[in-house]
Amino acid sequence: MLELNNQYTLMKRKIDTEVLKNFFNDTLVENADRLPLEIIPKHRTPFRCCIYKERAMVRYRIMAISGIDIERDDDEEKPLAEYMKEVLAEDKPPLPLLTTISTGCSGCPKSQYRISDGCRGCFARPCMSNCPKDAIIFINGQAHIQEDRCIRCGKCMEVCPFHAVVHIPVPCEEACPVDAIKKNEDGIVEIEHNKCIGCGKCVRSCPFGAIVERSGLFPVAKMLKNGEKVVAMIAPAIEGQFPGTLGQLKAAIKKAGFYDVVEVAEGAEVTSIKEASELHERLEEGENFMTTSCCPSYMELVDIHIPYLKQKRSTTLSPMGYSAEIVREKYPDAKSVFIGPCFAKKVEAAKKYRDSIDGVITFAELASIFVAKDIDVREMEADDLGDTASFEDCRQFALTTGVAGCVMARYDNEGKPAPKTMSINGLDKKTVRLMKTWEKRAPDADLVEVMACEGGCIAGPGTIVKPALAVKLRTAAKAAQK
Amino acid sequence: MKKSKVKVRICLGTACFVQGGADLLLYNDFVDPAILADCEIEGCSCLDECKVGNGSAPYVSINDKIYSGVNQDMFCKLLAEAVKNA
Repeated sequence: MLELNNQYTLMKRKIDTEVLKNFFNDTLVENADRLPLEIIPKHRTPFRCCIYKERAMVRYRIMAISGIDIERDDDEEKPLAEYMKEVLAEDKPPLPLLTTISTGCSGCPKSQYRISDGCRGCFARPCMSNCPKDAIIFINGQAHIQEDRCIRCGKCMEVCPFHAVVHIPVPCEEACPVDAIKKNEDGIVEIEHNKCIGCGKCVRSCPFGAIVERSGLFPVAKMLKNGEKVVAMIAPAIEGQFPGTLGQLKAAIKKAGFYDVVEVAEGAEVTSIKEASELHERLEEGENFMTTSCCPSYMELVDIHIPYLKQKRSTTLSPMGYSAEIVREKYPDAKSVFIGPCFAKKVEAAKKYRDSIDGVITFAELASIFVAKDIDVREMEADDLGDTASFEDCRQFALTTGVAGCVMARYDNEGKPAPKTMSINGLDKKTVRLMKTWEKRAPDADLVEVMACEGGCIAGPGTIVKPALAVKLRTAAKAAQK
Repeated sequence: MKKSKVKVRICLGTACFVQGGADLLLYNDFVDPAILADCEIEGCSCLDECKVGNGSAPYVSINDKIYSGVNQDMFCKLLAEAVKNA
């Protein structure tokens, strides 16, 4: 996967901010078609083939941020202004989550291993002796791979002492844990939406920006602009994503137009308590293991690809679900918006909480709102967070092993040895394969925590800072509290 | 005479922070420790450059001189230069 901050994500944030600025100034329809030209000015040295393609991609990015399904609704003759009018008049349906920009796709050649001219044609020839398919031959003293025999196992790459073997992957296909990405006959990317689990790894791995998430930002921005009573539910991963303290962040979110802020860690406390008692019950009944249920991408994975695990995952709601209940109780007349690091939460909200959650946006999108509205988090007067003592530890839900830790902290083992925990830290092809074997061979643990993103939610596709920095800032915040 | 340390301030205004300024805070991971020893680095409140300047975020101030569009690579070079000239 690409590093979080690269030219593409920085450009994305710039576009999002410009779109929002225009939206809040009521100039969006008027300026929409000018934005690609402003963002990619004439004198720019292009990263793509030319500035015209870059402008076209900006146009698509604007369509994606306004929630348009580019796959189905791409009319090149239609001015952006017309699209914006449509979006302002009516919210687009939130699913499918992802969409592709076929003209952006570079049509990467099939994943392959190749031998570069770094090959010295050595005497030992470990590539040849270790190839299980005899696919390597020597021509003029240099190794060559016979394409028709190669099974792409990568053994030759591992053993070459000169690192002369290179692996050229197709980044999106490589990143997808469930093989939901295919190329069509022209070699252009296509998503099989009925297989997609919404983890967002393909979006983050494509260096051309050809796969995009359809943003849910506009419905939320509209609520804010219309002055509706909207409560923000901030995911535990938010700590460390912005400058300043959590209290200042709360104040900034309220300044952006939200009525109040509820920490999803509060809902996570309910999840932990219920999951602890559920685990207790299940183990009493002699069940062999239970998995957590808060990662929406994992939930989709089970629903679509590993039906056996349906009976093994906890039936407890996710922290987002309980937080929505908390909001409902506190402010019965308010709308609720989840702000998190996650794409799949949009799927969860759309499928499960259609009636109780009114919008889902990411941290990166919240940042665009701040910048568009000129809100500086670090300059805010901190808001009181209220009594957080009982759920403070649940902010750890955002890190790998954190969920299991919180559940165990609330587990009453009645003097018996504590249940064993295990964590699946990140979904990829390998961990998915492993989980599929659990039907025949149960994992060696009582509670299995599954997180789709390696490192936990702090590494989600909607985050702003690198996980390493997020951890650093979180640790610093904790130290400052004491 | 003992050299005075190079004063480095990384703008932590929200705009700079999200446009890559945050990455600069990981300076321990990518700047030469020998250079770091001669620098005093801190995050600071918005330098207000985004409101007037023609450059782009993130902004960094080194010995009170403002630099714009600073990435990790540029940050290293700027610090090395400032330390040399100190």
